[in-house]
Amino acid sequence: MSESTASPDTRSSMAADHTVVRLQGVTKRIGKRTIIDHLTLDVPTGEVFGFLGPNGAGKTTTIRMMVGLMKLTEGEIIIRGHNIRTEYEQAIRHVGAIVENPEMYKYLTGYQNLLHFARMIPGISRQRIDEVVELVGLKARIHDKVKTYSLGMRQRLGVAQAIMHKPSLLILDEPTNGLDPAGIRELRDYLRQLARQEGITVFVSSHLLSEMELMCDRVAIIQNGRLIDVRPIQQASNETATSKVYFEVDRPDAAMKLLSDMEVVREGNLFSLQADREQVAALNARLVAAQIKVYGIRVQTKSLEDQFLEMTGGERIV
Amino acid sequence: MFDFWQLVNNENMKIYRRPRTWIMLGILLVLTLGISILFFSFNTDNTLTMWMPFEVCATVAILLITIFTVVISAESVAGEFTSGTIKLLLIRPWSRSKILLSKYLALIMFALFFMILLFAWNFLVNLIIFGYEGDVRMGQDMAPLQYYTLMHLFELISLIVVVTLSFLISTVFRSGGLAIGLSLFLLLGGNMITGLLAFLDYGWIKYLLFLNLSLSQYLGNGGPMIEGMSLGFSLSVLAGHYVVFIAITWYLFNKRDVAS
Repeated sequence: MSESTASPDTRSSMAADHTVVRLQGVTKRIGKRTIIDHLTLDVPTGEVFGFLGPNGAGKTTTIRMMVGLMKLTEGEIIIRGHNIRTEYEQAIRHVGAIVENPEMYKYLTGYQNLLHFARMIPGISRQRIDEVVELVGLKARIHDKVKTYSLGMRQRLGVAQAIMHKPSLLILDEPTNGLDPAGIRELRDYLRQLARQEGITVFVSSHLLSEMELMCDRVAIIQNGRLIDVRPIQQASNETATSKVYFEVDRPDAAMKLLSDMEVVREGNLFSLQADREQVAALNARLVAAQIKVYGIRVQTKSLEDQFLEMTGGERIV
Repeated sequence: MFDFWQLVNNENMKIYRRPRTWIMLGILLVLTLGISILFFSFNTDNTLTMWMPFEVCATVAILLITIFTVVISAESVAGEFTSGTIKLLLIRPWSRSKILLSKYLALIMFALFFMILLFAWNFLVNLIIFGYEGDVRMGQDMAPLQYYTLMHLFELISLIVVVTLSFLISTVFRSGGLAIGLSLFLLLGGNMITGLLAFLDYGWIKYLLFLNLSLSQYLGNGGPMIEGMSLGFSLSVLAGHYVVFIAITWYLFNKRDVAS
């Protein structure tokens, strides 16, 4: 037993500079059901790391194990070189988290709630609490009881308690649940800012693919408790990548004939082909030179959703 | 171990920042005052000493304190599960055992605080209304103040055992309403059922928790409810129950997953 725990420990201290969390063969079985099946994952420092999967894939279970709310059946979770199982107090010190909804003590004020959690971690001054309150924009209402808060305000209070002790890892479980579009946008910008400016690694779970695409540097995709893929999110300014491009023209037949040297697919008034940015411009010039009217050009970027559907074999995502 | 008392502070905040705690205290103070005034208004021929109304006030107060403390105790752990705050409470650099201990200590302090406060209140109110009377002997030839101090001490011991039981129920069931209901049912129903059982002639009955909770039976001259019981015996039975309750509570709280 001591040997099996020692090996990931030593390895993680070597990788401590660029790995905040390491999940090593993490397995959770409840009764005969395997909820999480040998999940192995490294979360790099300073990134916004998405944890993506359909409802019931095991996202929340994994997060609960990462923060010690659930015990692991097998495997190890190492946070900043500390094993969550054997050195819980040291490991969790670096973590700020909101697990599911940010539930606070409703009969206390926002400030009393923050004070409550600040008392549990050494070295948080009153100034730091004020600073965080200002940061999340709750200053005007912080001395009101939490039961009078809107969901968005509770979410902000949740973020405040999670970042109060300057964690190196922020774990957020479905943080955009129940937020309105403005709130989602605000949270998204805020998380990116945290990652950029404070160097906090953000581990965020979601079933909303479009969300993840906008927020994350990298996503891990999980289905039925198994890790399917980890991939970086492509930034839009990738110039050499070819994408599917749709042209809308007045005479598609003529255009097809003109471009017979390329692989063109006709779709009604539209035709599509694979091209990069420069090629699109050149194609447009050729069409116009041939007296074909171009009404529209649409570049279809392959969304995460498409990739996800491809990988999971089209299983429905809610 | 950095400042464990901060955790107890937190638990105190969660008890005393709620209006219900002060409503409970208000009820206690007003009710016992009312009882004293009632006694005074019937005391037209001036035959009453302060001890008779004091005893009634103390008995009512102790019963209510027990109920209130059980309510707060039953809600203590289960309430965190019901509200979901347990998830934020546990993900701190503290072991679960210490977090549980801070809750337990805050409850014991609450019970102690209410007991002492009500003892002082009842004493003062009745002293002012009826005047001091030190010339009576109570129970087994004791001065009244000594007798009632002992009575409160015994009741405090029972109260701590009862609170520990409801704390256990709170940890097992994780639902505030259920824990409160079950604890109160056990407290009130348990007394009645064991009271009936006491008439039966089984040797094991005297080992039941509820028969041994009324330690005050050893203060009077009447002797124990069942032959073979003594103060030492009852204290041992209570201690045995106490250890089991504490062991189960801490074991379960440490072991079980926090799932939704």
